[in-house]
Amino acid sequence: MQSTRSTRAAQPRDGQTLGEFIARYGIFLVLIALVIVLTILTPIIRGEQFFLTVPNLIQVALQASINAIIAVGMTFVIVSAGIDLSVGSIVALAGVGAALVMRDTALGPVAGVGVALGIGALCGAFNGFLIARVKLPPFIATLGTMGIFRGIALVISEGRSIFGFDRTFVEIFSARIGDIPVAVIVAAGVALCGALVLRYTKFGKYTIAMGGSERTARLAGIPINRYKLGIYILSGLLTGIAAVLLLARLRSGDPTFGRLFELDAIAAAVMGGTSLSGGAGSIPGTIVGALIISLVRNALNIFNVPSYWQEVVIGGVIVLAVVLDQWRKRQSQRD
Amino acid sequence: MTTPSAHRDGQPPLLVVDHISKIFGAVTAIKDITFTINAGQVVALVGDNGAGKSTLVKIISGLFPPTSGRVLLNGAECHFTRPADALHAGIETVYQDLALIEQLDVADNVFLGRETTRFGWIGRLLGILDRDTMRAQTADALADLHIKIPAPTLAVSSMSGGQRQAVAIGRAITWGRKLLILDEPTAALGVEETEQVLQMIEKLRGTAMSQLVISHNMQHVHRISDKIVVLRQGWHVATLTTAETDPQEIVAYITGAKQQTPVAEG
Repeated sequence: MQSTRSTRAAQPRDGQTLGEFIARYGIFLVLIALVIVLTILTPIIRGEQFFLTVPNLIQVALQASINAIIAVGMTFVIVSAGIDLSVGSIVALAGVGAALVMRDTALGPVAGVGVALGIGALCGAFNGFLIARVKLPPFIATLGTMGIFRGIALVISEGRSIFGFDRTFVEIFSARIGDIPVAVIVAAGVALCGALVLRYTKFGKYTIAMGGSERTARLAGIPINRYKLGIYILSGLLTGIAAVLLLARLRSGDPTFGRLFELDAIAAAVMGGTSLSGGAGSIPGTIVGALIISLVRNALNIFNVPSYWQEVVIGGVIVLAVVLDQWRKRQSQRD
Repeated sequence: MTTPSAHRDGQPPLLVVDHISKIFGAVTAIKDITFTINAGQVVALVGDNGAGKSTLVKIISGLFPPTSGRVLLNGAECHFTRPADALHAGIETVYQDLALIEQLDVADNVFLGRETTRFGWIGRLLGILDRDTMRAQTADALADLHIKIPAPTLAVSSMSGGQRQAVAIGRAITWGRKLLILDEPTAALGVEETEQVLQMIEKLRGTAMSQLVISHNMQHVHRISDKIVVLRQGWHVATLTTAETDPQEIVAYITGAKQQTPVAEG
C-alpha cells in the first residue's frame, strides 16, 4: 500500500513539471519578465533607455531597501500565522526618538542607532507581550499599537519634524560604498541573515511549525510564547534598522513617517509566496516582492504616470500576486 | 481513600492515576478516577463521547493539572505544568489530529522540539539545525519500526493518513521511554492501515514501554489491551481485565446497562 501511495504522490512531479515550476518560481519569473518588458518598452515610449542603466537600477534597489528590511521581519511574523500592522508607526517613533536624542544630547550617531533599534525592539516586545501573554489576536494587538506608537511619536515630537541632528549619522547611513548605497548593503545583509535563520535554525523551524499548527507545536513541547515574543521583537528590531536608514535619507525625523509601510511590507511578503494563513514563506521571495513593488513604482515614474494612478497600479499588482498565491496553493493541494 | 497497592512483585506500578478529578468552572469533567498501569501493560481507556477520556489524557500528558488527585510515575508524584514536562518524564502522546506539522518534512516532525544542532556550542547557541544527522536517524528509527516511507525528506502534506499516523507513532516510540498514550490511533484510518497500527501496539506490548490507548472500537480494545478502564459521564465505572471480559460486556459498561460494584485495583 505504501509503495503505491508514494508513487502516486511522486507522479505529478513528472506530469506537471511546468505548472510546478511556475508555481514555485512564479514570482522570480514575474521579476525577470518585468525587467525585460521595461528594458524594451522604455526606449520605445520615452525615446531613450532610462530604465536599464546602472544609476536607475541602483535607485530601484535603494527604493526597495527600507521596505525589504521591514518585510523580512514581516515574513517571519506572517509565517508564524501572525501580522504586524504597527511597523509603520514604529518607523515614526524610532525615527523621532533617535532624532531627538541626537539633536538634544551630545551622544552622537551611536546613541542615535541605539535608540532607534532599542525603540524598535521595545515596541516589538510590547506587541509580543500582548499577543503571547495577553492572548490578543495579532491583528487586533498591532492595530492598537499602531495607534499607540504613532501617538507617542506625535507626543514626543509635539507633532513637528525634527531637524538639525548629527551630521555624521546622516553621512554614514546615506553614504555609498563604491556606487552601492549603505541602505542597499544593509538590506542585503538583513535578507541573507533572515533567509539563513528561517531555513536553517530552530527559530525558523519553530516559526513555520507555529504557523502550521500552534497546538501541535505546543504539544511537541515548544515554548510557543517565548518564540512568539522573539518573532515580534525581531520584526520591531528590523523596523528600527529601517527607521535609521529612512532618518538618514530624509535628514529629518517626522511623526508622520512610515504611513502605510505595513501594507508595502505585507504585500512584498505575500507576493513572495508567504501564506497569510501561516506555515509557509521564503525570504528570497519576499525580497523579490519588494523589488517588484519598487520596479513598478520606478516604471510608472519613467512613463510619467500621475502618482494617484500609481497607487491604483500597485494595488492591482498586489491583488494579482495574491491570485497567483491562491493558484499555487490549489496546485500543491492537487498533489 | 487508599492509594492503589504496589505491584505484586514489589515494584511500584509504572503509572498511578490516584483519585484524579478535574473541574472546569461549573462543570466537573472527571470525578475521582483511580487506576494503575504496570510496566509493559496496554491499558485501554474507553467511554462514550464526553465521558472524560480526553480530559484524563490531557492531565497525564501535562496540558493542565488535575483539580485534585495525583499522578505518580514510577512511584514519584508528577507536577506537570506543560506538555514539555511530560515529554521530559518519558510520556509520549499521539493526538488524533494534532500529531504532525504538515508544512514540515518527516525528519523535521520526528525531531520537532528535540533538534540536533551542528557547529558545536555556537550552533547550539544559534540553534543551527543538523538536518543530515536528523534525517539519517529518522530513516534508521522508522526502518527499525518497519515503517515504510519513501524518504525522511517527504513533506507530510503529501502523505496518506496511515503514513502520517505511522510517523507520529514512530516518533512517539522513538522518544518515549515509559508511557505511550494513543488517542484514537485508528479513527481516521482504512482497514489495512488500522491493522498496521494495531500490530505496532501489539509489538510494543510487554516491552519496557507501557501504553494507554483510547479507542471506540471494542474489537480492537479487546484484542490489544491487558486491562480496560471504563469512564461514563466523568465517573470511573469499571476496571476490567481483558482476558475475563468480552466486547459486549465492555459496551454494557460504557452505556450504563451494566454497573460494577467498586472493586480493588487489578
